[in-house]
Amino acid sequence: MFNVLRKQASSRWWKLPAQPAVRHNSTAYVPPAAFQHVRRPPPPKEKPSSPTFYTSRASYYDQVISLEACISTAKQALKAENLYPLPDFARASIPPPQPFWKDQTSLMSLGSVKMTPSRYRRVISLLNQLDEYKRIAEVSGANELADNLTELLSEFENDNKAAILASSKRKPVQFDEYGRTYTSGKRKESSARVWVIPVQKPEESTDAAPKSEPLNLPASAPAISAFNHPQPVQVTPSNILINNIPLNKYFPIAKDRETVIRPLQLAGLFGAYNVFALVRGGGTTGQSGAIAVGLARGLAAHVPDVADILRKAKLLRRDPRMVERKKTNLRKARAAVSAIRTTLNLDADEIRRGPGSSGRIYYNIAFITQLIIILANCHENSLSPKAGPVPF
Amino acid sequence: MSQMASNRPPLTGEQWEDLQEERSNFKLFMDALSQYGSTQTRENTFQPHHTLHRPVAPNQITLSALMAAGAHLGHSKSLMNPNFTPYAYGIRAGITVIDMDHTLPLLRRAAKVVRGVAANGGSIVFVGTTTELATVVRKSAERVVENAYHIGSKWLPGTLTNRLAMFGAKTVQNVQITPDLVIFLNPLANLHAIRECAQNHIPTIGIIDSNVDPRVVMYPIPANDESIKTAELISGVLSVAGREGVEIHLEEEAKRKERSKYIAKMAGTQGPRREPERASTR
Repeated sequence: MFNVLRKQASSRWWKLPAQPAVRHNSTAYVPPAAFQHVRRPPPPKEKPSSPTFYTSRASYYDQVISLEACISTAKQALKAENLYPLPDFARASIPPPQPFWKDQTSLMSLGSVKMTPSRYRRVISLLNQLDEYKRIAEVSGANELADNLTELLSEFENDNKAAILASSKRKPVQFDEYGRTYTSGKRKESSARVWVIPVQKPEESTDAAPKSEPLNLPASAPAISAFNHPQPVQVTPSNILINNIPLNKYFPIAKDRETVIRPLQLAGLFGAYNVFALVRGGGTTGQSGAIAVGLARGLAAHVPDVADILRKAKLLRRDPRMVERKKTNLRKARAAVSAIRTTLNLDADEIRRGPGSSGRIYYNIAFITQLIIILANCHENSLSPKAGPVPF
Repeated sequence: MSQMASNRPPLTGEQWEDLQEERSNFKLFMDALSQYGSTQTRENTFQPHHTLHRPVAPNQITLSALMAAGAHLGHSKSLMNPNFTPYAYGIRAGITVIDMDHTLPLLRRAAKVVRGVAANGGSIVFVGTTTELATVVRKSAERVVENAYHIGSKWLPGTLTNRLAMFGAKTVQNVQITPDLVIFLNPLANLHAIRECAQNHIPTIGIIDSNVDPRVVMYPIPANDESIKTAELISGVLSVAGREGVEIHLEEEAKRKERSKYIAKMAGTQGPRREPERASTR
């Protein structure tokens, strides 16, 4: 039947068939044998598993979403334990963060998505938030929550955490067999080596002045009086030698001496320690600053309580300021060459010859002719004895 | 204040426990007294986060809820797309007001589409590409659970048209990349995605503002696309419809499994397997 139709159509190929098009589906008879070779439709493919599949960055967004979910769960757990939100005084008790997260390249290995700086920053901020909840849980005694969070965060922690912690610690200052410390300090171009030795207290001798006894004053008696005043305390001065020269001789300028003894004054240890320093390089300011830093470090080793005061006064810190280099086209590091004739109106000749040529006298022919005539007159007049002043 | 706090010594274990106990006592005290207070509590009054966390069902959505979310506020008069005229109520204070009498039935129609697609086991993608909409689409997809996806950041051009490069040959062979429905909460920012969907014959639903041609998507919902509350409300309605569709699909799957088990059981008891009848020509 199909072939019959085709013949009819081909005989009148330039005309459209007059009868309406016959439908070959639904109503047509199809013999059973035709179903032998029917290809079944392929089984439906499985749907994507991740809800973020269509972002094309599924593993990264899944990671971020799971971290955010952890954060909200941890927050709810803290709220249940009445630990969130925390008042200020409690928040100040939480230990400071010590984050040692994996770096960008290591985090990339956790998923197949490229870890760009912005993505890395986002992940790290989420991890820091979780770390804060972990610290709250640890310090307040919510141990189960703390353990869960530690386990979760361990996957993101740097493998070299222990090594980094060890290397960042400053080596403790050693004491030798006489209880002396050896520290160093630098400032500008100077470097100082400082030995800090505790002052030997004088031996208690029987010949010394009688010990002061505790005074049992009646309440009505005055607090201090010349007769009741106890024995003054024996003060031993600090001996400070710099390059084997006493302090006052080595630093004749008062400001430098004050710089050197400032650590002792702030710590209140003036008279408790002797200082021996060897200093090289630089000038007076640099050398006095270097000694001060070395001395402060030595004192912090001897009396650790004093370290806070010295740190606040920035005496434990090597002052990083150094002399700035001179740059080309400037007179000094920053000072520029002073501007001369900033506005120049130059004509073509001046541009060719350079500025400063406009001071020249321009000679022209008329002027030269005049000059010759005048000179000639002078010559003539000078020959006659009665020549007067030449009218000019 | 914080300086004073930092000068205090750190709390001991006992002090932490005291703090926790004090707070829990206060909570218990307040809860006990609340029963003598007003009947209007935080739980039974509207809170701003309810549009996101307590979605409305399609048969419960009201015109006043849409207006409360600011869905009727379009863009300025000069920016109105002429094809949007059928959905515009008028202009007030230089702003196109969107006709909610059109929005509500169109929203319910879109919900029906979502339900139908989900009932047939189709995959639905929620697209909302701003930081605030990212949360909305994620929650909507999570609500639908089965075969629901979300895009909270940029739709990478070529996701559908360059799938081999995006996903790799193995994924393209084994996984159905083309979704069955895509819902746009901000279509104006995702015109590339809309074009890709059209090229792949994927039905689309979108929140159409007055500066957008409603014909870009198959089922437009004329509403304010710049209001987060509106997006939360509409996405919530559609996600509830999607969840209903998924429930229908799971029910039907369960029934089908039961039926096939029964048939297999019956076939087992009725002797050797006969030749199956030819399928009739329908």
